[in-house]
Amino acid sequence: MASELRIEGLRAGYGGVQVLYDVDMHVRAGETVALLGTNGNGKSTVIKCVTGQLVPTAGRITAVIDGTEHDLVGLRAEEVVGLGIALVPEGRRLFPKLTVEENLHLGAFREAARPKLQQGLEFCFEVFPRLAERRKQLAGSMSGGEQQMLAIARALMTQPKMLIVDEPSVGLAPILVSKTIETIGELKKRLGLTVLMAEQNFQQAVRIADRGYVLVHGKIEMHAENAEELRNNQMVRKLYLGID
Amino acid sequence: MYVTWDLMANAIVAGILLGGFYAAVAVGVTIAFGMLDIVNIAHPAVMMIGAFLAYLALNTFGIDPMITMVILAGVGLAIGPFLYRGYHALIEKRGDESLQGLAFFFGILFIVEIGLVMTFGVDYRALELSYLSKTFELGAVSIPARMLIPFVVAMIMCGLCYAYLFYTFTGRTILAVAQDVEAVRLIGADPQRSKSVAFSIAIATGLVAGVLLILIQPVEPSIGREFIGRAFAVCVLGGIASITGTVTAAMILGVAETLTASLIGPSWSPAISFGLLLLTLAFRPSGIFGR
Repeated sequence: MASELRIEGLRAGYGGVQVLYDVDMHVRAGETVALLGTNGNGKSTVIKCVTGQLVPTAGRITAVIDGTEHDLVGLRAEEVVGLGIALVPEGRRLFPKLTVEENLHLGAFREAARPKLQQGLEFCFEVFPRLAERRKQLAGSMSGGEQQMLAIARALMTQPKMLIVDEPSVGLAPILVSKTIETIGELKKRLGLTVLMAEQNFQQAVRIADRGYVLVHGKIEMHAENAEELRNNQMVRKLYLGID
Repeated sequence: MYVTWDLMANAIVAGILLGGFYAAVAVGVTIAFGMLDIVNIAHPAVMMIGAFLAYLALNTFGIDPMITMVILAGVGLAIGPFLYRGYHALIEKRGDESLQGLAFFFGILFIVEIGLVMTFGVDYRALELSYLSKTFELGAVSIPARMLIPFVVAMIMCGLCYAYLFYTFTGRTILAVAQDVEAVRLIGADPQRSKSVAFSIAIATGLVAGVLLILIQPVEPSIGREFIGRAFAVCVLGGIASITGTVTAAMILGVAETLTASLIGPSWSPAISFGLLLLTLAFRPSGIFGR
């Protein structure tokens, strides 16, 4: 059941602009790792490289899923999902003109997830009763918080071993940010997931993170081996996160 | 003019039957244009190929059109992926597909038309089959077999498309791919494959619709053009990407046309489809079943 992720010497960019400089990270089996940093420091670029949406210029990305090692570089996004690595994308990327239920059904497209469609639905409706109430409603007509729930639920429908969450707090009211983060923490515990979460809301992210990396201008400036270290690191908080 | 209930009833039943055929024509447009944004105005050309192949099959090999249409559906599904790959490489990959695609398919339409003219000539061709000239009497309403058979086939075909799109995993990705291509990747599906499958279904329905057309009336190579306007009108009226909407809109158009033909005069009936199209765009741009 061990699923982990290793990123070594990752370099990537868009056109001629280099964004990431030799990023090294790892997410051990069953951990929740937060990738922290403010806007424009390269968090989403790391996520895009891992999930097959962007081809890195150098470096290795290796995922171990259920004991089998996979080289993620060069895989297409759908192939990465096929391995059991689900992404909750920034901006949620739901299918706005399909219903909640149709969106969830689509989540179960992956070969391994199809037989578990019904179980998956029941699980999602139990975790998010709100989605059960709105199952016939179009995804695009729901509130931001409900859409975030649906995005997480859709990712869970793929029966992932590893969950990658990109900026879950964007566009949500503070109370919903807090709830979303808690839900991710709970789900991780219940499903035994390995979680990598990119987030700029430092205080919320460290509530559930086992470890954290701080990304500044495309470089890992700090690596905290535990949440306490992350929380107490005044230098990082002041200089890079701009909070006291 | 003296209008009787019998005349009205006959016109409405005939309209529903005709509407069924329109649904068969439009379902392919709904899938290609409504769901994939492929402006396939060459769809009627696909129909004409189907119609003339049915003619050829019956008169050269003695194959009944009912068998021909099943074979053609299979052929459409088999060659569709190659056609889509061609379209993707030539047009879609470069972007700006709406305008270039339009010109591309317009060209295809003419090439097919000329090809058919060169092969079969410009004369009208019809299928001579005894079972097509039968008529069923239902009280005062008469139902000709040449209308009833296409209606039944069309409903089965639309039903199959609906079931495939809403109840299979690949089918559902077709509904999704029009909305967000990248998000389709994130659920582990290949959007190119979804589009390819959908395009193939559209081609297959076009071929079958062509066979239905030659069951209904004699055809000549350029007759397909008459259906471009109707098919797109039905697609918009029904609500761009909805199968149930397409079927309903096709029935409405069929009934409107036959009523106009019986009450005002047949020359007015083509104006109906564009009239309905304009009214839809003015009052309910998302169509009857638009989401």
